[in-house]
Parts: sequence; structure tokens; C-alpha cells
Amino acid sequence: MTDPTVDPTLDELAATLADVDADGALQETAAAAFPGTRGAFLRRSLGTLAGITAGAVVAGEAAAAPVAATENDVAILRFDLVLEYLQAGLYTEAERIGALTPETLAWARVVGAHERAHVRALQDLLGRRTVPSPGFNYRDVTSDEDAFIKTAVAFEDLTAALLKWQAPRLDSRSIVAAAVTLHSVETRHAAWIRHLNGLSPVTSAFDKPASQERMARLIASTGFLTRRSRTALNARPRFTG
Amino acid sequence: MRLALVAVLVAAAVAGAIVVVERDGSGAPASASRSGGIALARSAASLPPPAAPAFRVGKPRLIDGHETRARSAPVARRAVAFAEPGGRGQAVATVEPTTEEGSTNIVLVVGETTLGGGSWVRVRLPSLPNGRTGWVPRRALGGYAFVRTHLVVDRAHLTATLLRDDRAVFRAPIGIGVPAAPTPPGEFYVRVKLAGFDDPFYGPVAFGTSGRSAVLTDWPGGGYIGIHGTNAPELIPGRVSHGCVRLRNEDIVRLSRLMPVGTPVTIR
Repeated sequence: MTDPTVDPTLDELAATLADVDADGALQETAAAAFPGTRGAFLRRSLGTLAGITAGAVVAGEAAAAPVAATENDVAILRFDLVLEYLQAGLYTEAERIGALTPETLAWARVVGAHERAHVRALQDLLGRRTVPSPGFNYRDVTSDEDAFIKTAVAFEDLTAALLKWQAPRLDSRSIVAAAVTLHSVETRHAAWIRHLNGLSPVTSAFDKPASQERMARLIASTGFLTRRSRTALNARPRFTG
Repeated sequence: MRLALVAVLVAAAVAGAIVVVERDGSGAPASASRSGGIALARSAASLPPPAAPAFRVGKPRLIDGHETRARSAPVARRAVAFAEPGGRGQAVATVEPTTEEGSTNIVLVVGETTLGGGSWVRVRLPSLPNGRTGWVPRRALGGYAFVRTHLVVDRAHLTATLLRDDRAVFRAPIGIGVPAAPTPPGEFYVRVKLAGFDDPFYGPVAFGTSGRSAVLTDWPGGGYIGIHGTNAPELIPGRVSHGCVRLRNEDIVRLSRLMPVGTPVTIR
């Protein structure tokens, strides 16, 4: 059945992602996220996930129940992991550079810690099916107050909207139960950064979901994705000795 | 008479069922609606049990406020480095996207400013004379990477010490340049890590730095100062090299696990 939210130009986006995706992590994410496009070919190359053991889903202070994650759920979780990498990287870099106002830095410090915790939890859940972080180039955004705030508001709002889109598409109730614990935190982040900057923390009586494809297009449009630097080589030195 | 009902839900922990007690306005049980309440309770009891979350997010970890931070960035596109920001002053060097070894060329960031609506970054340059810095447009660089390490090479005591957040985590004896080809003093950084080569002279691992020999300027590859292993461990510690910093092989292997590319290097 055709998903009406799928944009027919997604092949182009998949190509864009592939172009900047040196290690293939985003190609796999794109493949899983864009069924019916060129991604479908890549998706077929993914193996079937037999299940994730209890040991692989331990994250933080408590072990969770074993989860038999379907291929569909793995694709969604991988997408979320890449998004969490992107957010954690943005806030962590802003904190390390330290060029923003104290109020915004305090927000980035706390929210960055949350996003890093989300990354660890998703990595643990995915186990061997995890994806490595792509490279990111946030350019001036992490040292420009206005640009940072706009980006942070967009990321937090859209992440909450994305989780709303994904939740009814997940096969595992256990993963839904975990995803909603992230969702409420992301909405609090969004309200907090909005409030800090004089924006209404609540914009409507009902929040709308945002599709994974829309989020992928947003990520691609930021230009934040880059190749990872190649600074380790198998090559003979020519130093002075 | 219309019956006012107050439903009190009591979770039955053992049975997992729900008991619904209905009362009218006087507080007495309403027998007329008892059957409806029971049906409601049975309906609730038939709900599936709550699913255990597939993961629980662990405790958030704040960045240590005491961590030391050095920032580097890859050169994304060929750029001229100027003596002053905004493309002003003398052109001091050209930075390329790749090194002589074919790796991504990274530069150490030592300052930044905004000028005329554009961002400019002051970077340490891997060129002679050693210690030179220059300003390049931010858009010429890729994403930032951060390290918490710093290598200090002490030529007087012939030791190399790796600091992490200003605390020593590694120390080893070293060999440095002979008087005719001295190891240059100054502030540098690690540009590349090489391994998997078959040349015992350099040992199992070699780091390339931004430092260059002021004497061996025509050396193949540009005369860069490396930090590497050796096939003559008996000469360490000593003044034995052509300018590179030599470590015993077991030490360079240990260092390679602790020192990321981008680490600042002080040679004093």
C-alpha cells in the first residue's frame, strides 16, 4: 500500500545522503526510511533481525525485557539514533565552544546531556544493528546565538513530531513504551528553548506528526552532514626519522 | 431519580483486576448499577498488561567543567591563510584539503572572530617557520573535533608525557634529534596516524605532527617531525634522530591507544 506521505523525489534525497555518507551509515538509514525508492534496493540487502537479547537492551540503571525487534522497528530506531547523534553533537559542540549567552549555554548543557543519554540507550538497544555516527559540520551555528536557537527550536519541535509519526508504526509495544518516554522529554526541551527565547511554548491544542521523510529532508537541507575525516591510514611514513 | 455515581477504582495488585465500587449521593452502594460496574471492571481486567519499555535512558552525564579542550577542523577546500582576519594582511600560507600522506589535512583552531558578516578562524599552520598561525574563512573548514589530551615533549629530560585534562596519563623515555638535526621547539599538533606499514625503522605506529625540521627542508614529504617507534630501542633515551621523537615500540603502541589525532603537542 502506498504511503501518501512519501514524496516521489525521495530518490534524489537518498542520492544526496549517499553522496555525503562515506561510511554507508546514512545509506542504510535512508534505505530503511524510504521504502519504494532507491532505498528499497538497499533495504533488501539488510539481513533479517532475529531478535535482540536481553543483554543488548540494558541501558542505564535497569535491564529491560527482551525485545524481538522487527526490521521495521530497527529501521525506525536507526533513524532516531542518527537524529540523536545530530542533536547531541550540536549541543555538545555549542557547550564546548562556549560562545552563546549563559542562559542558552545552560540549556545546551542540560539538553546535550539528555541527548547523549538517548544515544547510548538507542545504541544499546540496537546492539550489533547500530549505526555509527556520520560526520557533522555545524558551521557557525554553534557560536551564533540566533542561528543556534532557531536550529534548536526546529530540532526539538520536529523530533517530538517525528516520534508521534513513528509511534503508531512501531511493531513492538515495548519499543513504543520506551519511545513515549523520549517523546515527552523532547517536548519539554522544545517548550523550554521556546520559552527562553520569547516564543510561545505551546502553539496549538493538538500537535501534528511529522513524517520520517520530512525529517530526512530537513536534515539533508541543513548541510550538517559531512564525510568523516580520514586521519588514520595504512601508509608508510616519510617523516624525518 | 437520577443516580449520581462516584466510581472509585482500586487496582487489585495480586489479581491484576480492577474493582469498581459505585455509590449514590448518600454514600450507599447502588445495587441498581452493580451489574454495569462489574461489566466495566471485567472489561478493564481484560486489557493487556502494560509492556515493559524496551530501553530505559540512563542518567544524563554532564560534560566535566574541568576538561581541557583543543579544537581542530579538517580543511574542506583549498584556502589562503592571511595574517589578519577578513582576508587582510599578508598571505602567510595555503592550506590544502589533504596531507602529503593522503590523509585529511586538519588544522588546530586557536581563535575565531566575525568580521563583515563572515566568520574567520585562526589556525596553527603546518608550515615553516614553525609556530606560524594564519586566518582562514570558517567556510573553508569542516566540522570541529575536540580532544582533551596534550602531549608534552621535554627535550632536557628526554621524556614524553601525555596529559588528559591536565593530568598525566602516559610518560615514556624518548629519543630526539641529534645536534645537527634538532627536534624543533614550539607548539604543534598531531595531524595523522599511520599504521600497517612494513618499515621497522619507524616501528609499528607513527604519528605525523605539524612540526617541520628547520634543517632537513628537502626531506621527501616535506621534512615533517613524526612521533614513532624504532628498531633500535637501545638508543632510547638519547639524542639520536633526525628530528623525530622516537619511542620504544611498546610505548608507541600504548600511546597510540591514548592520543587522538588533533592532540596539541608542546616541544620544549
